[in-house]
Amino acid sequence: MKDYEVIIGLETHIQLNTETKIFCSCKADSWEAEPNTNICPVCSGLPGVLPVLNAEAVHKGAILAAAMHAQINTKSYFDRKNYFYPDLPKGYQISQFDQPIGRGGYLDLPLENGETRRVRIHNLHLEEDAGKTKTERGVRLLDFNRCGVPLVEMVTEPDLRSGDEAAQYLIRLRQLLRWIGVSEADMERGHLRCDANVSIRERGTTVLNTKTEIKNVNSIDSVRQAIGEEAKRQIELVESGGKVESYTLDWDADRGKLTKMRSKETEADYRYFREPDLLPVVLSTEEIDAVIARLPELPLARRARFEQEYQLSAYDAEILTSERSLSDYYEAAVAAYAGEAKTAANWMMNDLSRLLNDLGKTADQLVLKPENLAEIISMVDKGKINAATGKSLLKKVEETGKSPSEIVDDEGLGLIADSDALRKQIEGILAGASAEVASFRAGKESLLGWFVGQVMRSSGGKADPKRTREILLELLNKE
Amino acid sequence: MTTKRISPELFEKLVGLAALELTAEESTYLFEEMNHQLASVEALSQIPLPEDVEPSLHGLEPKGLPPRPDEWKPFAHPEAIIALAPETEDGMIVVPDVKGAK
Amino acid sequence: MSLTQLSAFEVAHKVRTGEVKAAEFAQAALEQIRAVDGVSGSLNPGELDPIEESKVHAFIQVTQDKAIEQAEKVDQKIANGDEPGLLAGVPLSVKDIFCVEGTRTTAASKIIANFVPPYTATAVQRLVDAGAIVLGKVNLDEFTFGSSNESSAFQPSTSNPWNTEYVPGGSSGGSAASVAAQEVALSLGTDTGGSIRQPAAFCGVVGLKPSYGRVSRLGLIAFASSLDCPGPLSRNVRDSALMLQVMAGNDPKDSTSSTLPVDDYLGALEQDVKGLRIGLSPDYEAVYYPDLESGELHSEPIQKGVREAVLRAAETLAKAGAEIVENVPMPNTRYGIPAYFVISRVEAASNLHRFDGVKYGYRTPEAVEDLNELYRRSRAEGFGLEPKLRILMGMYVSAAEHASSYYQKALKVRSMIRSDFEHAFDPQGAYRLDALLTSTTATTAFKRKAVYGNSVLMQYSDQMTVASNHAGVPALTMPGGLDENGLPIGIQLIGNDFREEMILRIGNAYEQLTADDAWRKVRPQVLQGEVRA
Repeated sequence: MKDYEVIIGLETHIQLNTETKIFCSCKADSWEAEPNTNICPVCSGLPGVLPVLNAEAVHKGAILAAAMHAQINTKSYFDRKNYFYPDLPKGYQISQFDQPIGRGGYLDLPLENGETRRVRIHNLHLEEDAGKTKTERGVRLLDFNRCGVPLVEMVTEPDLRSGDEAAQYLIRLRQLLRWIGVSEADMERGHLRCDANVSIRERGTTVLNTKTEIKNVNSIDSVRQAIGEEAKRQIELVESGGKVESYTLDWDADRGKLTKMRSKETEADYRYFREPDLLPVVLSTEEIDAVIARLPELPLARRARFEQEYQLSAYDAEILTSERSLSDYYEAAVAAYAGEAKTAANWMMNDLSRLLNDLGKTADQLVLKPENLAEIISMVDKGKINAATGKSLLKKVEETGKSPSEIVDDEGLGLIADSDALRKQIEGILAGASAEVASFRAGKESLLGWFVGQVMRSSGGKADPKRTREILLELLNKE
Repeated sequence: MTTKRISPELFEKLVGLAALELTAEESTYLFEEMNHQLASVEALSQIPLPEDVEPSLHGLEPKGLPPRPDEWKPFAHPEAIIALAPETEDGMIVVPDVKGAK
Repeated sequence: MSLTQLSAFEVAHKVRTGEVKAAEFAQAALEQIRAVDGVSGSLNPGELDPIEESKVHAFIQVTQDKAIEQAEKVDQKIANGDEPGLLAGVPLSVKDIFCVEGTRTTAASKIIANFVPPYTATAVQRLVDAGAIVLGKVNLDEFTFGSSNESSAFQPSTSNPWNTEYVPGGSSGGSAASVAAQEVALSLGTDTGGSIRQPAAFCGVVGLKPSYGRVSRLGLIAFASSLDCPGPLSRNVRDSALMLQVMAGNDPKDSTSSTLPVDDYLGALEQDVKGLRIGLSPDYEAVYYPDLESGELHSEPIQKGVREAVLRAAETLAKAGAEIVENVPMPNTRYGIPAYFVISRVEAASNLHRFDGVKYGYRTPEAVEDLNELYRRSRAEGFGLEPKLRILMGMYVSAAEHASSYYQKALKVRSMIRSDFEHAFDPQGAYRLDALLTSTTATTAFKRKAVYGNSVLMQYSDQMTVASNHAGVPALTMPGGLDENGLPIGIQLIGNDFREEMILRIGNAYEQLTADDAWRKVRPQVLQGEVRA
């Protein structure tokens, strides 16, 4: 068998997290709503109505274009894509065709082998979503709630080489979308949808062979599996002397199977033309510059900086930059904390992450501020509290909103570092354990641990373990 | 001068794309009228256009409001929209299924 | 003088001062409708009584109860001492292409014959808010696609009140006829290629196509979105100014609606025409039409009486101190119709996509195999011939392989037509016009069935009007005399962008200057109290 490589391009649809739809003032998100309750004459295509563009959709589209390093066009246009389908109440979709908001750009994917795959973007355009239809007992039921939800369609160049890479692309894209705050990017809710174009060629050649399009690969696993299946099918077909035909395929995630939808030969002519009901979308160079200037540091750049600046391992840096709020939190905590960045990272990755999971919150939603975390770690470092108390403080601060030191004072959680008080306590314990003292003095030095335990128990864990040990040894070795 | 005529095959294709179906009588009439209109439209090809002329979507470029603020204003009677439909079920519009599609 | 003869201006004055109640005007209008309109247009008119041939048939639907209710509201306001609005008590008809909440809105098509919109068009809302009384919805060519009213699915279609054997023009034929027959003082029409002006000219009334974007299109069931303009029809220029005053202005629900401040149109009427530069163009003295087979362009001078009316108007205005500028070149006027055949059809085909039997309107009662058959059957049974023709033509010229040679080319020709006007109105240019004076149509009204069916010839009746739609500039038509058959002649004033106040001012001056002309005393046939033999 020849050595083949798989050539993949992805077409993604990204639902922008605006408050309202792109051309009317209905809610953009109606996931929980009853069918056809989030509609108006505009999005349901009544005669005589006109679209009115949502400024926020343009703004978020521009942010995404900037984050993809795309060229943002100062003037872009909406066009009508004409076709009949029951989920499209106007009989045309308002989309962007030859002058979209963004052109070019790329997303870098760090690969497992340490290399980076640069996936180029062909263009990004704004458009409206269609409604939902479901088939029941041989009829279609139409729900227009989703009609008019703002989408960015983003198409990559054929730069991906495996199902795994395609999955990586979606993971990185999802991370980026959430990072820059333009989409919830929840694939289960269809905020991020994907079609994949797949072809194969002999490794070493540069031709682009006939591709098939796989529709509805709407989870990370589906992308990986569907592309794998399709690549395998194409290779087997070509190896057995067949020829790949230009199909549209549907991925059935439940059965893990591809089915042919239609031959692409009969592709419709959408008769695109400029939408006369809308004005051109104009962004001044100042506006575009401001979007770019306000763009946050992007995940991969921040990851690299974390490795360098904070001497974190690649693994730690990856975890701490998985979400923007987590990484912002980390940086604020490090800034407030005098000790090692690595120590703060450990607290973040273990204890704080657990707290976030338990509460179902993101880092920016915590009552426990990065400064509080820094204070807790510092108290442990200085022996003011023990590590266990430190960990328990996270939750207490979160619940009460009090500062860590306040809670330590109020609840008397500080370690007993006062030598006199501790010495008295220890003397009392030794007096009540003459048998053990005798054994120890007779040479059974392993009993030291037992004595420490007794002190801890009687102090309710607040005795400074190091000091306890010193005093115990001093008193036991006296005679 | 000869004018372009739409072939009967193309005409049939257009009828399909337009989601129409025509009686023979309608077909004959519309086919002729389309070709007559095309004769008029052909005048466009005779017009000497300067190189730099830009297409004009609206003759008078509209100067309207900038894009609207992102504020939710629900339509008061969404049910009145669905009530217009010839057939509904549980608040959804009912249509026959599409043969041979997804 | 009977109540129905009064102008909108006079009606509003009488109602405001309490001299006559709005309810009395509403009743008078209803009586006039009963007297002259005959049966309303319907999908199944059946056998008609011969007497119907002498009736106007402007209305598809008379909304009597609502009219009385609106009138009572106006009267109540006046009784309460509240502001009743600029159009207090003025009887108004609305072209049945505008959505009115709770009122059946048909577009004169079977495909939405039962459609009752859940919202109201902005223009209608503003008129009603200003106190106008909506008497009902008036007939039009199906989806506004025509120039004679004959293509309406609601028959009998409207007749010309001057001679009911003639068409009223179109597509706002019901609007023009209802105003001419004194059923209402005002009508709300639409103009995409001449659909206000051509019927206004044919019916001897005033009609104004405002600048594109001056009046909101929201609620107007779209024909060609880049060309459609709602506008007034009335019996004198002042009333059109008054009606425009109420309707004009930005609407946040129409992105193409202009944010420019609205001028004081009524105030502008106080000024005369001294020193104004009014142009005449040889390019409006002939019509150019293609040979149907060869496509070769022929030209023919416009009707003699029509041309004379234009020259007479020029003389009248010159005597009043206007400067007449002759030989203004408008060389691209002749390409207006071919470009319109392309642009308007592309937009129309797309705009008609939504009528598919799914969401509202007509759905085939036949059992269908699948959804695609439902689309085909519903559209085949619901649309008349003219919409079908326009859809097919639109599909053809916007197909990917033809779009550059037809659609893109037409858009460039549109730029050229626009540049003709820019040159003519350029304040630093050679002509520096305040308005261009032309005829509104090449001929006066034609007889029923004389043109209907010949889609090319029918379209060419918009030849004098369509250029201003391409360019987006405002244009006013007003009566300029009668032809040898006693049919009205329309003359047109075309203005620069958003200079409605200028053409209204000139029109009003012309109207005053010719107030005593003999032809102004002649009344339409249906108002002469005689039934044709």
